[in-house]
Amino acid sequence: MNVLKVPGRTIAVFILPALLLYVCIVFIPIIVSFYTGTLEWDGIGDSKFVGLDNFKRMFFDDPVFWPSVKRTLLYAVASMIEIPICLFMAILLNRYVRKANKFVSIYFTPVILSVVILGQLWKTIYNPESMGGMLNGVLVWFGLDSWTHNWLTEPKFAMYSIYIVSLWQYFGYHLLIQFTGVQNIPSEIYEAAQIDGAEGFKADRYITLPMIVPIFKISIVLAFIGSLQAFDLVMVMTAGGPAHATDVISTHMYNSSFLSMQYGYGSAIASFLVVLCLIFTVLINFGLNKLERKYS
Amino acid sequence: MVNLKKGLAYLLIGALCVTQLYPLLWLLTYSLKTNEEILDGSFFALPKTPIWTNYSEAYKSGHYLQYLGNSVFVTTITMVCVIILSAMVAFAITRFRFKYGNVVMLIFLLGMMIPMQATLLPLMIIFKNVNILDTHLSLILPYIAFSTPISVFILSGFMRAIPKEIEESAVIDGASIYRIFRTIIIPISIPPVMTVCILTFITIWNEYILAATFISTEKLKTLPFGVYSFVSQYSVNYGNIGAFLVMGAAPVILIYFFLSDKITKGMVAGAVKG
Repeated sequence: MNVLKVPGRTIAVFILPALLLYVCIVFIPIIVSFYTGTLEWDGIGDSKFVGLDNFKRMFFDDPVFWPSVKRTLLYAVASMIEIPICLFMAILLNRYVRKANKFVSIYFTPVILSVVILGQLWKTIYNPESMGGMLNGVLVWFGLDSWTHNWLTEPKFAMYSIYIVSLWQYFGYHLLIQFTGVQNIPSEIYEAAQIDGAEGFKADRYITLPMIVPIFKISIVLAFIGSLQAFDLVMVMTAGGPAHATDVISTHMYNSSFLSMQYGYGSAIASFLVVLCLIFTVLINFGLNKLERKYS
Repeated sequence: MVNLKKGLAYLLIGALCVTQLYPLLWLLTYSLKTNEEILDGSFFALPKTPIWTNYSEAYKSGHYLQYLGNSVFVTTITMVCVIILSAMVAFAITRFRFKYGNVVMLIFLLGMMIPMQATLLPLMIIFKNVNILDTHLSLILPYIAFSTPISVFILSGFMRAIPKEIEESAVIDGASIYRIFRTIIIPISIPPVMTVCILTFITIWNEYILAATFISTEKLKTLPFGVYSFVSQYSVNYGNIGAFLVMGAAPVILIYFFLSDKITKGMVAGAVKG
């Protein structure tokens, strides 16, 4: 039982400032957004109540909407696939390198930089060879001229080019999380296993993997939810273009509301995004908890 | 066999260093080249003579110091407010005899699942109506709100573990609640406060979308938005753009260089507890 018995007023003094600000900035806008999702409104003039028309249009009549959902989910899947690789590298680093911390810090560098800077950097890397793009330059240098492309302006490649930047940026993040997890496994367990004849990758299979599950779960959740919310990198690199080829849910929402000035429709998409995030957060935690119980 | 494995591991580790760092180093060489050198596509070459004027020109034509100052201002205010507000909440829900502590916590946790961009449009309308759109306040308020949940979470995790006896003796000595908070709880909680500082700093310093949506006055732009406007304005002078990008990255890189251990630890703590 807690010691401090305090009057209600004191509790209010401690809790209310943060709580009020939080409710006003986070919850009220979401509720407003559900409401404006039922309006036909350009943000300035009169609004007209249209019921669920915006949602109907979103689900059935918008050729951009479902592809953008698909890209968002693909984004999530791609970033989850990266995590086992991070775990593998974390195990290697922990086993073979004495000052592994230094390497982890090096890999982590892109994580702390602004997406504006990274996005611009990768835009110049993806540039056509005539503009000094590094990637195409490397391809030409290897004699693979036919492989060169305008990576960000050809609809076929643009989205994948963005996935790569995102995977590149967050590689160090997930590696760091996994590495910390691997490091925290007590070395006595490995020593005991060694006596029983389990070493190297065998020890990894029976000790590291089961013990890393909770940390692995954290990475998966972060990667998944992070990609559902993917936004700023796409905005900086292509803003959803060319011809909607790189639109994800968030950019579609942004472009509908701020470029085409359809505030009502944009709010409908925003509401969908909120619901999607809530559902997936619950689902993925539920699924992973089940998995965790099975393996540990 | 062991050596072969070891060799392969080193090869992988080394290759990753190249992929993770080379783009950044390439930007550095790029920023010191002439337009001709950049366009002829010799991507591994160092600049023949480093063109330092790229930097002085970028510095002169961009408003670097102004952007930097704005970023420092917004980030500092946000960090201070986040720490005070979330420490107060964490203190209240972990140490008070208070029925609804868990409810408050739940509200904050629920909010963590809400993506920031979903509030973009309604916030803009609300801010326009209360006339704070296009001011630093329109950035600072959402920044504080969105940084609070994770901070409350980290701080309350720590505060829960502080032994009750400390407060008991303080109460017996006649210290008020505010005094206990200020002179006992906060000084003990410095390690998690550092974690909160680091997390908030990295997210807020790099935030771009809110800044680009709510701010339009040149004088008020923060660094990421400033870099973006510079790049879209001077799209032909590659060297200058490279220089401005390097200057944009420099503050964080410098801090990271000195505090990399603290920053990586803080980010892990934030990830694991979040």
